[in-house]
Amino acid sequence: MALRLVTKTLSSRISPKLCSASLLHSHATSFGFKEVREEEKSQMVGKVFSNVASNYDLMNDFMSGGLHRLWKDRLVSKLSPFPGMKHLDVAGGTGDVAFRILESVNSIKRRALQDPLNDDLQEETRIYVCDINPNMLDVGKNRALEKGLGEDKSLVWVQGDAEALSFEDNSMDGYTIAFGIRNVTHIEKVLSEAYRVLKRGGRFLCLELSHVDIPVFKELYDFYSFSVIPRLGEIVAGDRESYQYLVESIRRFPPQEKFASMIADAGFQKVEYENLVGGVVAIHSGLKI
Amino acid sequence: MYRTVVNRILLTKNTGGGRRCLLRFPDLRTAVSSSRFSTTTEPQTFPNRPLNPADSSTSSSSTSFQTSSAAGDIPRQERKNPRAEYQGEQARVLQASLRHVLRLGWSEEAMIAGAKEVGISPSIVGSFPRKEAALVEFFMDDCLQRLIDRIDSGEELQDLIPSQCIYKLVRFRLEMQAPYISKWPQALSIQAHPLNVSTSFKQRAMLVDEIWHAAGDEASDLDWYVKRTVLGGIYSTTEIYMLTDSSPEFRDTWLFLDNRVKDAFDLKKTIQEVFSPSIPFPLFF
Repeated sequence: MALRLVTKTLSSRISPKLCSASLLHSHATSFGFKEVREEEKSQMVGKVFSNVASNYDLMNDFMSGGLHRLWKDRLVSKLSPFPGMKHLDVAGGTGDVAFRILESVNSIKRRALQDPLNDDLQEETRIYVCDINPNMLDVGKNRALEKGLGEDKSLVWVQGDAEALSFEDNSMDGYTIAFGIRNVTHIEKVLSEAYRVLKRGGRFLCLELSHVDIPVFKELYDFYSFSVIPRLGEIVAGDRESYQYLVESIRRFPPQEKFASMIADAGFQKVEYENLVGGVVAIHSGLKI
Repeated sequence: MYRTVVNRILLTKNTGGGRRCLLRFPDLRTAVSSSRFSTTTEPQTFPNRPLNPADSSTSSSSTSFQTSSAAGDIPRQERKNPRAEYQGEQARVLQASLRHVLRLGWSEEAMIAGAKEVGISPSIVGSFPRKEAALVEFFMDDCLQRLIDRIDSGEELQDLIPSQCIYKLVRFRLEMQAPYISKWPQALSIQAHPLNVSTSFKQRAMLVDEIWHAAGDEASDLDWYVKRTVLGGIYSTTEIYMLTDSSPEFRDTWLFLDNRVKDAFDLKKTIQEVFSPSIPFPLFF
């Protein structure tokens, strides 16, 4: 896993300024490799996720060979949750990341805590799971019930749009978005909303499928993406189109460096990214000060 | 190591007792310290502000350094160098965390408490690459800076013979750890952790180098390594002795230190006598 820091000089800002605007516009009007109207994109993505919701977790396991669990574990360990934290997990429909954070916070409590003040704080932990798609949220709520977390008031399920969050300014200690930012219409709006809701010292973490540059591995990954995954989607979930959209949208998403600079543009400091599995997945992080 | 070279070049003109310019240190520290406070620059936040040429010497990692030593300067530093804000904030959090170490140990809990004290979300603790190690390293750097300040301001050190100078400086440095002595074993174990060993080794090397330089060391050959290794050994053994010392004001530790320093210098004299030209070579055998 390679940790890289983003460095930008003043001069390099001028030339990409022109193409960054077009890049964002192209993201807003792209649905995979198809061109669509901005207003339609949100609806089409909504349809995709309504279709995949029931098989979402199963397909994740198949496509990543179970690796997605490790990626999410890594995301949560980078976050370093603490008791009493107010956390927002956006596009976290089925609750994977939220459950992990909750487990992490509870295990800290179970360890011999030296600070007696924290016993009360445990009650104050709140993890908000926000998703635009009600079907995904339903799947998440059911999973919570199965895990015995149905009555846990730390978990709050909220339906909402990442581009226009209903939370107050400076109210969240942490913000995560796992495999969600690829699907939004306007990336920069999501980033600025994230910046708005975070407190001072709060961290933004984004786990997303990203670009691979390693020569031979890249070809293998492309073959796997375009030949194997849509077929797998067809067999397991009976929905080839949605999985075709998935692999195409990965290619259309900005590469690691570009996305890191977008995060910095939104106002975050200490913007870094870490590639997992050679770039198949990247975790971007930023700090709000 | 870097300091001695640079200072020999730069201090030949300056007077011996003058306060060394702090501006040089951050650059050297950036070179020696790991990427903990590395140069991430995010100019996007203030695109219209022209780059102040004076800022280039106060690199971003210097803000944290100077923030801890000159609290009143914080607003000025942040206005001059807004890009380095997060490092300043991180330093403030670490400084506050030190006050909780006695109660909570060198741990994440102490850092969370420190962040809350300063009024910043405890999430910032996750942004330190090696969490507890960052706190310990910050403390070590802070102590080193205090030692350097002491060396710079102490005229009388030049009048002492080397062994006494070394004794005084090592004692002064170890006394800084005295308030934390109950939790110091934890700090040592953190420093010994494989991930942290390289940074802690560098910090100790700088410390030892600093002390020898203050004692007036002019060596630049193999002797240089020997001297630093020996002093490193003296320092470490005294540090560990101090952990189990329950005498008032660590009297036994200072006695131990004194004896070790004397031993080292006696050994040096012995070796010099053995290899001195006054004894004809064939008489060895």
